[in-house]
This record gives sequence, C-alpha cells and structure tokens, in this order.
Amino acid sequence: MRFQPTLKVLSDEQIERIHQAALEMLMNPGVLVKSEEARDLLKQAGADIDEETMICRIPGNIVMEAMKSAPSSFTVHARNPENDVHVSTSDVHIEPMIGRINCYDYASGEARPTTLEDVGHLIRIADAMPNYHLLHSGAIMPQIEGIPIRATHAYGYLESVRNSTKPVKATSRERVMAEDCLRMVAAVAGGEEELKKRPCTFTTDNPVAPLHHDRDQVEGALLYAEYGIPIDVTSEPQAGATAPVTIAGLLAQQTADVISGITILQLKNPGNPVWYGTCGSVMDMRVGRIAIGAIEMGLINVASAQMAHFYDVPCRGTASATDSKELDFQAGYEKTAVMTMAVLGGVNKIFYPGTMEGALTISKEGLVLDNEIAGAIYRVLDGIDVVDDTLGVELARTVGPGGHYLSQRHTMQFIRKEHFMPLLADRLIRERWEEAGRKNMVAKAHETVVRILDEHEVEPLPEKTEAELKRIVREVEEREEKQS
Amino acid sequence: MPDAERIYEAMKKSIETYDSDAAVAAAEEAVAAGLDLLEAVEVGFANPIRELGESFHRMEIFLPELTMGADAMKAGVDVLERALDESGGKIEKKAVVVIGTVEGDIHDIGKSVVATLLHANGYQVHDLGIDLPATRIIEAAESHSADVIALSALLSTTMLYQRDVVELLQNKGLKDKYYVLVGGAPVTQAWADEIGADGFAHDAFDAVQVLDKAMEGRAK
Repeated sequence: MRFQPTLKVLSDEQIERIHQAALEMLMNPGVLVKSEEARDLLKQAGADIDEETMICRIPGNIVMEAMKSAPSSFTVHARNPENDVHVSTSDVHIEPMIGRINCYDYASGEARPTTLEDVGHLIRIADAMPNYHLLHSGAIMPQIEGIPIRATHAYGYLESVRNSTKPVKATSRERVMAEDCLRMVAAVAGGEEELKKRPCTFTTDNPVAPLHHDRDQVEGALLYAEYGIPIDVTSEPQAGATAPVTIAGLLAQQTADVISGITILQLKNPGNPVWYGTCGSVMDMRVGRIAIGAIEMGLINVASAQMAHFYDVPCRGTASATDSKELDFQAGYEKTAVMTMAVLGGVNKIFYPGTMEGALTISKEGLVLDNEIAGAIYRVLDGIDVVDDTLGVELARTVGPGGHYLSQRHTMQFIRKEHFMPLLADRLIRERWEEAGRKNMVAKAHETVVRILDEHEVEPLPEKTEAELKRIVREVEEREEKQS
Repeated sequence: MPDAERIYEAMKKSIETYDSDAAVAAAEEAVAAGLDLLEAVEVGFANPIRELGESFHRMEIFLPELTMGADAMKAGVDVLERALDESGGKIEKKAVVVIGTVEGDIHDIGKSVVATLLHANGYQVHDLGIDLPATRIIEAAESHSADVIALSALLSTTMLYQRDVVELLQNKGLKDKYYVLVGGAPVTQAWADEIGADGFAHDAFDAVQVLDKAMEGRAK
C-alpha cells in the first residue's frame, strides 16, 4: 500500500481545544449577522438572536448538526465534462488567481490596471496549465480597466467563460451581482434546472474577521445555496489585527467565523457543498499590512486542513502568494514554502497562484511559474512507491556491481512516473545555458505565455450561448446606467 | 534632580513603556507641582511620542507598541489639557482633522493607524469611524471646524466614494475650506489628482509628512 506523505501541525487534543474555543466564541460574544434572512434561519434553528444588535449566539449542537449535513465530497462541473473537478477531503486541487486590480507587465516590470483583454489572456493561460483545476475569474473583480464599474462582474464572467472549459468562478459579493452571474452561468449550463443538476461554477463567501457576516455577502451566498452551488466559506483573519496575535487564537476565531457561515448556508440548503476556508495570515506589525507570503501561513493552512477534516468537509487554503513586487528570490521562496506545506497538509483547494505584491497584482508569467511549483509539489505528494518492481533487486543483479542503469528498460519504464521534469528550471551546464541565451525562469515563463496565447485553442461557446451571455451583459450595463 | 526634570523623565518613560496609568500619574504630578504645562506636553509627551513614531518608521518597534504608546500619551495629555482649560490655557494643535472610511467600506485598521499617528504628531483628530456617507463626513467636518478631511478606502469599488465627498464639497461651495487627504490600498496619487483631492498618502507616516507640509503656518 502506498504511504501518503502528510504534514500535521496540530495534535488531536489541540484540534478539540480549538473547536471548543470556537464554539465558546459563537455563544459569547456571538457573531454579528447583518442579513435578515440569515438571522431568521438561525432563529428558526434555535439560536439566540438580538435583533437590535444583530448579534447571534449559536449553540454548539446547531453548528454541529449543520456541519454534519455538509458533504465530504462533491463535484464542480465544467463546460467540458473532462474538466469536472471531484472535490473531496483527500484530493488536492488548485485554483489560480485571475482577477486582480493590477496586472504585471513583463516588458516594463511595472504593475498596470488589468484590462478585459488581460482577463481573457490570464484565463486562457490557466486553461492551458495542467496543474490548475478550478479557475477564479474576471467576475470577481471589483474593477476592470475601461469597463463600467457596476457591470464588471458580467463582462468579467463572459470574458472568462469563453476562454476556458474548466469550472469558472462567479461572484456572490452582492445579491444583484449574484443574480446576474447565476443567469449567465445558467445560460452556459443550458437552463436553471441543468444548473441545479450540474453546478458548473463555484463561489466564495467571506465572513469579515472578527465574527461578522456582512449583509451583501451573505445574501449573495444564500442565493448560490439555492442552486446547490459549491461555496468556500473563507475567513481572512490577520493575526494581531483582526484576530488574536497568537496562531491558536487566530485558528479558534477563524473556525468560529467559518463554521457559523457554513451553518447559515446549511440551514438554507442542507447538504450544500462547502469548503472550510482560510486566507489567514499575520499582519506585519512594522508596516501595518497583511503578510501574504509569511511562513505562518503555512502553519495556518495545515492547521485549517486539520480543522476542516475534523468536521469532515474539504478545506480551501491560500498559498503560492508573495509580498514581493517582482518575480524574484523572495517570490520563489515565499510561494514554494507555503505551497509545499499547504499541499502536504492536505488542503483540498489551494487558491492564489499567479499573484504577487500582496495579491494586489496578477502576473501571466506568475501563472506559468506557479504551475511549475505546483507540479513539483504534486510529485512530493505522490510519495515513494515501494514494491518489488520499484525496489529493483532483480535489476541490480542484472546490472551488477560497477554497471549502470541508463540502458535498462526499467529506467525507461519508470522515469516519467518517478521523476518530475521541470520545464522552466534550468539544469544545463554553464556553456549550454549561455548558448541558449542565459535565460532565467521568468524569461522562459514569458516565452511560454507568448506561445500559449499564440497556440492554445479553447473550444468556443455555442453561438446561441455566446449571444445570450452578451445580451445579459448589455442588459446589466443598461440597468446600471439608468441607476447611476 | 529638580522636580520638572524628574517628572518629564517619568512622562517619557510612561510613553516608552506604553503605560497609560504611569502617564496619568506623571501628568497629575506635573499639575500638582505647578509646572509649565505647555512645556510638559511638549517635553514630557510630544517629543517621546515623536521618537516612538521615528522608531516605528525605522521598523524597530511594531504597530501595537506605537498604538499603545499613543494611547498612553493621550491619557496623559488629557490630564494636562483639563488643568490647562481650568487656567484658561490651550495646547497648540497643528490642525483639526476629521478622518473616516468612506461609504460601503468597513475597513477600520488602516484608518485608525493614520488617526493614531496624526494624533501623536500634534493634530486634533476626530475619528468618525467606517462606512460613512459623504454627507456625514462633511457635517462632522463643519461641526468640528476641521482643517483637514482624511478619507480612507481599502476597496477599489469604494474608493469611488472618495470622489463623492470631493464632489459634494464642491457642490456646497466648501471645497476651498478643507484640505482633503485620501489614502488606502488601491488609492494612488493619480487617483487623488483625478478626483481633485488636495493630498495623497501611501501610509500613516506619509500622512503625517504630507499634512505637516500642507499645514505649515496654519497652527491654531
């Protein structure tokens, strides 16, 4: 049997203590729930609600019953069924970032506002990368350069879904945006009923640390739950600022944020697919900003996976991010360290590859570079296969002392399975490397970007669907123009 | 050691140890000893807090230390100010600032740090909170006779509301009355220029420097 490499940072007893601390927080001080519908759901379930302060005290039995109704595995469907993603508490999938306000420009080394064309290119690159499974999208962006701001989600979704056949994320940030997005997703799925049968999108519901469920966000997420669409419920606490400075305190409060959020969604639609999500890190107390490449994020990711699996739900984590403004040593170190921990820790959906500069900026080259890091770490996750064939005792007899293995069929047979072949990391001798133009990884990633945008083809949307999506985008734009 | 020197030393130490109780005790002692209270504010509290700000800027101390140092200073200065009030004196303030996070945005921390650092550097600061409609910000600026309106936004969606505040000031004919300072993660100098704000600051330390420069000669 294959031994699964795993990393754990909490003992069973520590998990139990964090869980109990979270339940205690949910009773006192309770959580601030600004959505009336969510408060009603909690009230019907037996929680203690103060309508004036909107503080909800949720007893542990209500939370645990809700957590039990959340599934441990589910499928996020794709436009092309071959790209369907089967989520579980034991699989690791990767969600690259697409929509950030700024896009890194390789030629100048500067960050500039992201355009709609960038969104299409970023999605197409992510579509071509084998280690990316669930795609963030332009629908989640607060702003796209040159696009009317209140129609950003509609433009962003269309530009994304036409450039990939993998599952494409939609926004739940506000009820009206959620409605627009779901109409578009339904058009892609072939109608509302089809969408319910084969949810071909997913979204994020962000509680606001500490202990606060915002109205717009929850109302949007509740609409996704009506359709049974997978939702990662992700708290973004910063140790020392929006959570206790201690990692244990952060984990307890994050758990309270997340399981109360999941409870609301399960009360709306029992069995709705969810992830227990973390985007927790530390605030760098010298500069007053979240440190998104901090090594503590590695600890928080692994501990979050342990907490999620304690509740028997998949975990969404955050890794492959960096605070560096360049694709440099800092970026490589921060991304690889936290990503390795998250993968080995069993985080089931890892979000943020492609980002830089504290996730304010997205990079096309970064998507290609981070795909390679992911590939290397997937190799680690595969572990070491120890069976007669791989031990090669017989083979050692054939080769004999002083011989070599290069011309053995066994070598040929196992090479691709046993060794990860990086496409960007350079292993040439100096002379050959100089002949090849002294290129570093970033330069090679840029060549890959150019090649993908030139060569990678994506199956277009059916004409009818494309026309319907365009009609919805126009409708959203006209509606918002009238309102402003 | 003469009284004044000893008490100033105790004030300084209270800031350096982030100890509000000690700051209050030293301030009360200064009042009881009949010291020059304006000098006490400057030497005992303002100088040490500025040094703390410098240490923060050099990354030698961390944000919680700066915040708690500023809290200690505020507690001590409050005591001195009350005594000054009774004797008809007044502490010089560089300017009066109203500060808040704009409508739709519930991000509190960055704005609070700016408020703390401005306060520590001799500004009278009214922190209005978060998610503030333009009308409320302007009403508060009017009622506090502010010199500066400082607007925070962390989201690129909500930074648009910084423009609303400037536009409303223009419509009311109040724009020239205030120095409008904008900041927040997505905010840039170009954005400040575009919406007609008077100043832009990258971070809290920058905010102090920008306002110090803009407010030169406007002490009241």
